Amino acid sequence: MSHAIETRNLRCRVAKSFEISDLSMHVPHRAVYGFLGPNGSGKTTTIRLLLGLMKPTGGSVVVLGMPMPERHAEVLARTGYVPERLHLYPSLTVGEAIRFHRQFYSTWDQAWANELMKQMQLEGDRRVGVLSKGESGKLMMLLALSQRPDLLVLDEPTDGLDPVVRRDILAALVEYVTDREATVLISSHLVHELERICDWVGLMDKGRLVAEMPMLEFKTGLKRLRVASAPDSLSGAPFTLLVRDRGNGSVEQWLVRGWAPAMQTYLESVGASLREVIDLDLEEGFVEMLRASRQRTG
Amino acid sequence: MFSAILWSQWKATRALVLVVTVLVFAAPLFSLQVAYTAFSPVQFVSSMQSFGALYSIMAAVAGLLVALSAWRLDHAGHHVYALALPLSRARYAAYRFTAGLVFLLPIAVGLLIGCLLVAISGLIPDGLHAYPIALTLRFTLAALVAYAVFFAISAATNKTAGMIIGVIASLFFAQYLLNVFAGNTYDILEPTVNFIFVRPGILSVFAGRWMLVDA
Repeated sequence: MSHAIETRNLRCRVAKSFEISDLSMHVPHRAVYGFLGPNGSGKTTTIRLLLGLMKPTGGSVVVLGMPMPERHAEVLARTGYVPERLHLYPSLTVGEAIRFHRQFYSTWDQAWANELMKQMQLEGDRRVGVLSKGESGKLMMLLALSQRPDLLVLDEPTDGLDPVVRRDILAALVEYVTDREATVLISSHLVHELERICDWVGLMDKGRLVAEMPMLEFKTGLKRLRVASAPDSLSGAPFTLLVRDRGNGSVEQWLVRGWAPAMQTYLESVGASLREVIDLDLEEGFVEMLRASRQRTG
Repeated sequence: MFSAILWSQWKATRALVLVVTVLVFAAPLFSLQVAYTAFSPVQFVSSMQSFGALYSIMAAVAGLLVALSAWRLDHAGHHVYALALPLSRARYAAYRFTAGLVFLLPIAVGLLIGCLLVAISGLIPDGLHAYPIALTLRFTLAALVAYAVFFAISAATNKTAGMIIGVIASLFFAQYLLNVFAGNTYDILEPTVNFIFVRPGILSVFAGRWMLVDA
């Protein structure tokens, strides 16, 4: 499988107490990749490293087949980026900001920009500096989409927005992806939001990529099991045991990945008895994965 | 791309450029108004000379303000937007620098018009000559030098700017220590200042005589 974004052992020390460490992530072409993680987990730093806005201290980054940051200008010409916060020039009006931005992109689609302006109800003569958070988010999205990019990198694009604006932005994104088959990397800590639109998911915590898998696998393969009479150690298990909560009684709670109903026979073969299989929604899965990761790393 | 950067910078800088242009335009006229009351050509020249430092300072201030405003928009956005634009850092900085240079032009033209008005006013005593073009060229060169220096400092990181300020502060502190412990025997400030401001020092254009009217 070819990847729109690929990093290998990426490292970057941002502060004394925080670093991106040995990050190896793979965003497949034409995927909508949800980049999940709690606040401060390193999502924004990783995105800045991917786009060449920061220099890594080690490892490699390849975006759209080109090494970064060496070929950042070529990569950025094909990438629409919506940063975490609005960084446009506040003295420009919305119309001027659009005219400014389009000068840098040969693929700019003015007709679509006009259409998006109407859809998003943005007024061309309003100053960027006085836009609300929602309007700023819409404007950034408009700029990113009107470039007709092959890759969209969205850093918490809907954070702090009201549900109506959030829906508008995601609708524009879905429409674009359907139309263009572009690759999207979208970071968020709003798990439910990504559940509907992503087909891949990567989970960041404390500067590390804790997990990376297709969304379907994340949603269906992650289960909480209630198991009785389980042996102390498991060998040759066909699933990955992420968390084992022995509790006080004889029934333990397990968090497992890669579960399938047929694996019940394995539990019986080791003398354990499966009492219950509990489906986890994405948010529960996200929390449990983080918990498992933190338990492993102490 | 350059036109876009020029436009954005113009919007952020125009008020400042207008104020500085008016001030430099008014300076020669004001100096003439003051010198006109002189009783002799010598006093007239002396009075005009007293404004020489003002042109030098105005050139430095014009360079400083235009340089700071060149990066102001990007500083405000922590450079994220600029860095995410699809062009090389060097090219982007070159565009910003060139745009700033363009805004020094109206300031220089303002001074030239002010100086030319003084030259054609008929109020200069016989035997004296006005040098509007020479003064304007010198002002422009000084403003360019100041602009280039402050543009570079402003473009640098806070760490670099801090290092520059630190070096200057260290010089003064070292001089203070020498005065305390060696009793005014050694002067490190004067040679340093001379090295920078006396020809061929990089800032020598700011020193010397800035004369609009002379013999």
